[in-house]
Amino acid sequence: MAYVFSPSDLVQVAPEIFILSMACVILIVDLFLDDRRRYVTHLLCQVTLLGAAVLTYMLGFGETTMAFSGAYIHDAFGDVLKIAMYVVTAAVFLYSRDYLKDRNLLKGEYFVLGLFGLLGMMIMVSAANLLVIYLGIELLALSLYALVAFDRDNKTAAEAAMKYFVLGAIASGMLLYGMSMIYGTTGTLSSTEIAARLVDLGSDDLVPIFGLVFIMVGIGFKLGVVPFHMWVPDIYQGAPTSVTLYIGSIPKIAGFALVMRLLVDTLPGLVVDWQAMLIILAVLSMAIGNIVAIAQTNIKRMLAYSTISHMGFLLLGVLSGTTEGYSSAMFYTLVYSMMALGSFGILLLMSRSGFDAEMLDDMKGLNRRSPWFAGMMLIMMFSMAGVPPMAGFYAKLSVLAAVVDIGLVWLAIVAVLFSVIGAFYYLRVIKLMYFDEPVDDSPLGGSADVRFVLSLNGLAVLGLGIFPAGLMGLCLQVLS
Amino acid sequence: MESVYLALVLAPLVGAIAAGLFGKLIGRTGSHWVTILGVGASFALSLVVFKHIVLDGAEVYNATVYTWMVSEGIRFEVGFLVDSLTALMICVVTFVSLMVHIYTIGYMHEDPGYQRFFSYIALFTFAMLMLVMSNNFLQLFFGWEAVGLVSYLLIGFWYERDTAIFANMKAFLVNRIGDFGFLLGIGLILANFGSLDYHEVFAQAPTMVTESIEILPGSAWSLMTVICILLFIGAMGKSAQVPLHVWLPDSMEGPTPISALIHAATMVTAGIFMVARMSPLFETSETALSVVLVIGALTSFLMGLVGIVQNDIKRVVAYSTLSQLGYMTVALGASAYAAGIFHLMTHAFFKALLFLAAGSVIIGMHHDQDIRNMGGLKKYMPITYWTSLIGTLALIGFPGFSGFFSKDAIIEATHASSIPGSSFAYVLVLAGVFVTALYSFRMFFLVFHGKERMDDHTREHLHESSGVVVWPLILLAIPSLGIGYLTIGDVLFGDYFDGVIHVAANHDVLGHLAGDWHGATAMITHGIMAPPFWLAMGGLATAAYLYLMRPELPGKIKDRLQIFVTILENKYGFDDFNQKYIAGGCRGIGNLLWKVGDEKLIDGLMVNGSARTVGWVSSIVRQVQTGMMYHYAFAMILGLLGLLTWFVIR
Amino acid sequence: MTFELFIFYVFATVTVASAVVVISSRNPVYSALALVLTFFSCSGIWMLAEAEFLAIVLVLVYVGAVMVLFLFVVMMLDINIAVLSQGFMSYLPVGVGVALAVVAEMALLVGSKYFGADIIPPPERHVAEYNNTAELGNVLYTVHMYAFEIASVILLVAIIAAIVLTLRKRPLTRYQSPEKQVAVRREDRIRVINMKAETEE
Repeated sequence: MAYVFSPSDLVQVAPEIFILSMACVILIVDLFLDDRRRYVTHLLCQVTLLGAAVLTYMLGFGETTMAFSGAYIHDAFGDVLKIAMYVVTAAVFLYSRDYLKDRNLLKGEYFVLGLFGLLGMMIMVSAANLLVIYLGIELLALSLYALVAFDRDNKTAAEAAMKYFVLGAIASGMLLYGMSMIYGTTGTLSSTEIAARLVDLGSDDLVPIFGLVFIMVGIGFKLGVVPFHMWVPDIYQGAPTSVTLYIGSIPKIAGFALVMRLLVDTLPGLVVDWQAMLIILAVLSMAIGNIVAIAQTNIKRMLAYSTISHMGFLLLGVLSGTTEGYSSAMFYTLVYSMMALGSFGILLLMSRSGFDAEMLDDMKGLNRRSPWFAGMMLIMMFSMAGVPPMAGFYAKLSVLAAVVDIGLVWLAIVAVLFSVIGAFYYLRVIKLMYFDEPVDDSPLGGSADVRFVLSLNGLAVLGLGIFPAGLMGLCLQVLS
Repeated sequence: MESVYLALVLAPLVGAIAAGLFGKLIGRTGSHWVTILGVGASFALSLVVFKHIVLDGAEVYNATVYTWMVSEGIRFEVGFLVDSLTALMICVVTFVSLMVHIYTIGYMHEDPGYQRFFSYIALFTFAMLMLVMSNNFLQLFFGWEAVGLVSYLLIGFWYERDTAIFANMKAFLVNRIGDFGFLLGIGLILANFGSLDYHEVFAQAPTMVTESIEILPGSAWSLMTVICILLFIGAMGKSAQVPLHVWLPDSMEGPTPISALIHAATMVTAGIFMVARMSPLFETSETALSVVLVIGALTSFLMGLVGIVQNDIKRVVAYSTLSQLGYMTVALGASAYAAGIFHLMTHAFFKALLFLAAGSVIIGMHHDQDIRNMGGLKKYMPITYWTSLIGTLALIGFPGFSGFFSKDAIIEATHASSIPGSSFAYVLVLAGVFVTALYSFRMFFLVFHGKERMDDHTREHLHESSGVVVWPLILLAIPSLGIGYLTIGDVLFGDYFDGVIHVAANHDVLGHLAGDWHGATAMITHGIMAPPFWLAMGGLATAAYLYLMRPELPGKIKDRLQIFVTILENKYGFDDFNQKYIAGGCRGIGNLLWKVGDEKLIDGLMVNGSARTVGWVSSIVRQVQTGMMYHYAFAMILGLLGLLTWFVIR
Repeated sequence: MTFELFIFYVFATVTVASAVVVISSRNPVYSALALVLTFFSCSGIWMLAEAEFLAIVLVLVYVGAVMVLFLFVVMMLDINIAVLSQGFMSYLPVGVGVALAVVAEMALLVGSKYFGADIIPPPERHVAEYNNTAELGNVLYTVHMYAFEIASVILLVAIIAAIVLTLRKRPLTRYQSPEKQVAVRREDRIRVINMKAETEE
């Protein structure tokens, strides 16, 4: 195969290259900063994200192009998701800053690893080749393992990191095994070629289906859907809250991209098979996630189970197999990442040095301590429960509409039933905030920029619920 | 112009939010300034719009501002339809609202809920503007419900009073009945027309005339008739038509400024506005028009009669509002939509004036509202006296005053109408003129003339109200006096509503009357000869005789006609019937469902039962999360195995 | 059966057998050594498939570096074997059952139905001068350049992660400071004192 390198390929991946270079620069610069001037590192990261956003915006939203002999796909879908990831990452870094400083964890490596994780996710978002998808996942995973264990003296964090690492390795192995089966039957790694060849092969071939099952294990693990979800609660609880914030928000966007790239772009020929599998996974996730969340006393753990149920909901949109379904799932993903960002952000805001807000009881009487942020948390909880007019309601509605459109009314009913069950534990948080006496009366800390962005975050969730058309239209547009 | 429309609607909302959420921050003065500026800006922009649309004759604006969502091809949108009807309505709404805002500074100035009050009335203005500027049914319904909500909040503004809570609950529930009909009507439209946009629906209306609908199996109803009657039920609730009128007199529990703004000038006319807006629909069903006509006529006459026996100054005005709303409804039923809207406009001015004047009296009387304790206020409150006189003369339709033109037009239109029930309605509205004059001047004489019946303490403190109270009175007195004379030619007999209000050729009573139209002055001279004038004079004379010259007579008459008075004082028993049978019955059923259905079956068995089950399952499943890594890995393998097996045996 | 096939089966048998030893041996040192053997036989199979570069790299990297490191760790940690194998028997039946089920299902795939010579033709034999290493390099640095670069980033992250998680400054640790040692002056180290000569009394 003759290969011609075209320099324009480098322009296509300019945002990735920029992030990589800046991560390396920050790594060096950070060496020369003492702890008091660590904020420079944080600032540099924000500049990096801004630069990447500008690059993506300027280069993006054109026609779909491929680069690096079909390994890289550059389309509007990816551009939107990348910009969303920059925004969420910027917020994550900002929310984490004070929390880390209070715990003597404000190290340059936190931000650098965060940027590398972001790079891995960007690679996943615009991957058009099984190998590249796998490498993107691994880059993200490796950064996450290190981030979870970041607080080295914390035993639970170390335990969580260990579990995450081993289970993640198993999932990666499964994923790779599945990919090898697909490669074995089609003889190619490229998504478009696999898609074309699988259609020729017909549906009675068991090998690609088995390959799909193994790939599904990998996807299921990365998204955290039942029964590949066991790591989620332990890691959410064990990791420092700032890392939980990272894991709970940005990788969900990448996970959605992974599903789209692997199932929709690469394996459309097996749509009947993965649809069936996704139904099983979605129902199990919504059931286990919502039911077990009720029994939790730790709010980080509760939110972990809530994540599981939300990922189940997200799969509903994907499994519909229609453009409307995909766009509603995309909307759901973006809204969910904002909700996760906001709710963990408030937990970070409530934490002080020497105290981590992570039990449900810590939420008691938040309204007395800060009515405004109790209101923000209220928006988040209502939105997660799917109460109008929050964005979460519209996200759920559109996903359900997509499921009903393909005739799976029973599935929609099941989803609604489990949402009702789920509403219980979200409302419990609200009850604790508004109707219980606070355990301690100290007002909430947090620097002005964090409070401002967090407020913006909450209002955005509310605003997107009232005016969903813009984002929904964008999702539809980039997917059709 | 789109930005003008947006700013017009949003300015009061901004004021409401500022006063409502940041009221403590900006203080009392800040609150009234921010809302007055918002509504003032709105009024100024309304004038700009009026000039643009009506005077400059610009194109009708009909566009979507924001698409909320699209579902199954049905678009849910926020959009504006700005034509001459809208322009008229927004001018009236914002003008009266502005006056009431200013007046409130004086009226509420000692009230602890000052900021809250300003926030509410600014919010009301926003909701009302959304309602009248809408170009689709969804937004109409939004505005409809929003004004209802603010009305509820304001009636119960003094929430420590049990009567206020009772009244706002009553208003809410009665309106719910109307809104239910309204919603059903909108639903039928959506189901049959497949659109919520006015113009799309109106365009299809003529093709739907022959459609029928089966409500009960085996009985075919005309679809348009059903839709129109359902919509009109909504209007009956909001515009307080018999038998859904019962909430309006009780709504007087709210502060007087909102009685003027919401329960006299604007909100209660929403039903009238809505029917006029829907004229292309109503014109397709003569049955519906007939229903409208008869209901309106009954309201106008019966409610006027009740006004005669009321002793609370605000309630008298409230019953007169009911009666006047009946007149407007009669105009709609007679297909004289323009006359209805015209009366709506003149009524908005003089009724707001009367209410605010009543408020001024109430301030003077230290919040004593019983007219039996008043009398001779003329010399203490001259401005209030003269403006009240203008309002009262306008109300009874004294030739030359604005009410004369609109009311006479309605009576004439009813006379000329051929819709079934029009002759019945004609008799009632004619008799209503006499009644109107009687109760209006009864109150006027009792309040301002005759013996001073108040206690000494009150008398010592009697004086004219402050500037912020009397200036709105003066500003409202001007249109009450002259607006009818100035505009009747254009609005009723000109081309003002061309293309906006649709009247079928065989219903066009105003077109018929236009043949005899020789200008407003001629109408006055002609009016002096006509029976309504003499009836009004008769009412005035009766009132003067009974309450000025022979004040002992009313008591004797009352004894003689005890049975009628009792009926009137019981308001025909609507309230008793509602409370005893409807409310009581509902509570009985509710109690039954609550005790047996809800507590035992749903709560006990289903809710708590399922909650317990879920909790139990939750605690079991939780055990699976052991924290052991190999258990987790094993679960993954089991999942893999399960999926594989499923595909193998499938 | 050709000689080549015979060799394949020998290597395959050794691979599977030594892999079983890896997981069943009670002594981790034995397990590690069995794993070395597994790698060796794997590389033999790759050699048969004309993938010399991979075969050599497997031996060099895994056997030469990774496994040796692993053996060091195992020996230094002195793991208590008895604790590790606790509960092994109780999980064995379930584990074996599930494993057998998975194997049985996988066996459905492996066979001539999906992987027969008519469906996947055997690769053609190359001449003796064929250079697998060069071919691999050709592909790696052209077609798979993007993936190759990402792999390098992964290695970088691995280095960073390893340093972050292990490098620590303990306040109590004693260490030498060369610049201080170089800059030292005589006065810092030696104090000349005059002492009276001691005499025995």
